[in-house]
Amino acid sequence: MTVVKRFYVVLLLSIGVASAREPGLNAQQVLVKMNHAMEVLNYQGTVAFLKNGKLEPMKYVHAAEKGIQQERLLSLNSPLREIIRNGGQISCLFKETQQTIVDHRPFERSFLVDVPRNLDDMGAIYQFEIVGEENIAMLPSYVVAIQPKDYARYPRKIWVEKQQFLPLKVVVYDNSGVPLEQVVFTEIEVKDALPFVDVKFLDAAHPVQHIHQSQPQSSDQAAFVVTALPKGFREVFFIRKPMHNTEQPVDHLLLSDGFTTVSIYMENKSAAIQSGLQSVGAVNSYSRTINNYQLTVMGEVPAETVKFIAEGIKLRDLKD
Amino acid sequence: MPEDLNQKISQFLDNELDHDEALTLLQKMQLQSELQDKLIRYEAISHAMKTDVFLLTKSDFSTKIRQQIQKEPVYLLPQHKPFKRSHKQIAAAASIAIIAVIAGRSLYGTDQHSKVASIVQVAQHQLPEQSSKPVVYANQAAQYPLNKRINDYLQAHNSSVYTNGEANFQPLARVTAYSHK
Repeated sequence: MTVVKRFYVVLLLSIGVASAREPGLNAQQVLVKMNHAMEVLNYQGTVAFLKNGKLEPMKYVHAAEKGIQQERLLSLNSPLREIIRNGGQISCLFKETQQTIVDHRPFERSFLVDVPRNLDDMGAIYQFEIVGEENIAMLPSYVVAIQPKDYARYPRKIWVEKQQFLPLKVVVYDNSGVPLEQVVFTEIEVKDALPFVDVKFLDAAHPVQHIHQSQPQSSDQAAFVVTALPKGFREVFFIRKPMHNTEQPVDHLLLSDGFTTVSIYMENKSAAIQSGLQSVGAVNSYSRTINNYQLTVMGEVPAETVKFIAEGIKLRDLKD
Repeated sequence: MPEDLNQKISQFLDNELDHDEALTLLQKMQLQSELQDKLIRYEAISHAMKTDVFLLTKSDFSTKIRQQIQKEPVYLLPQHKPFKRSHKQIAAAASIAIIAVIAGRSLYGTDQHSKVASIVQVAQHQLPEQSSKPVVYANQAAQYPLNKRINDYLQAHNSSVYTNGEANFQPLARVTAYSHK
């Protein structure tokens, strides 16, 4: 092989490596591109949710036009249901029972994954790194690891497709590396346009159940104060509203560090809720009583975290 | 003559010889080992031409098979002839008919009342066992408020309940006590 041929071989290999790695694109930039792609692209496919040990395959459709988005899920298995997210409103129609639920969640953006728009402040609590490249649904993807810098929250990985920057797979792990929850596309296609659908509310015979229909309130009205929180958690939402089909109000404070959410509930003491730790799938909760109130802290965080937060909560009257 | 024998062997393999001719040929082959070898060769050629697959067997393959058969023990006692399928069906039908007649007589005979009473008694003995299910349901209903509250909390916490068919507003959420380390 001549010197000239060797030069061209080395040059071609260098170009190949450079194009595969896209130098200069770090994990945060991939996630920013992913957030943008999730908002502006029209895409659909089949996505599998693996939670609580149960696999839930669903048809997924995301339509976007002039800054307006609609996200739609159609379950493939019973209970058959259609879930539509229009901005901050989620509507869920159960086909078999004809039950309709309308929920208002302005603080959530996607059923797939919510990644903060501004990742600059997240560096204090999470480490972002591209740890490899893999194929998901036969599409080459970056593997972005989001590793917390403490044990108060769970690590996760996001597989971001390399051409369109759509998230193809999301896995939440516990602190020993065991997967807790997964969301993964089995097939996906990007379209120029996808239709928006109207949410069809049923007749009076099938009343609509509203969740969080009230506007958020100031957390100063909460009956409790939170004295200790893991680093990075902030108040997102507070509301006092009746729950459990009774008129008895329940205080609900939602906290988030950007990736992980924790809810704090306080209501009048009830024998129905047992104190201590409980778990529902990846969600841990810790309940305790404070005087005549029942406090429950719940979230997709380790049990130690919900217990830590719960034990740092005091009644507002006691502090004042 | 040899060509005539070769023709006979070929016809024998193609099942074209009548009974007497085939018997004569076999008697000759029994006396002449070269004829046996020829039969084996012709059979291999015929098999290869018909199936495109050639399985090479040793020349003494059929001899060994015959010797193995001869080694098999001979049963002098008469063997049981297996029932024909039709006989089995007839026997089963007859049995069912006999049971039906006996059961009918016992129900509608002179001791009809006592027999019915015993059946009722048996049924009554089974009642407590059958009624244990509602007791279980009652216990589950007692747990309902706890699970309902946890469900309500989960539902208010985030929208992941919509993508989880099992935990979705079912009266009994899968709540397990956490075994703390």
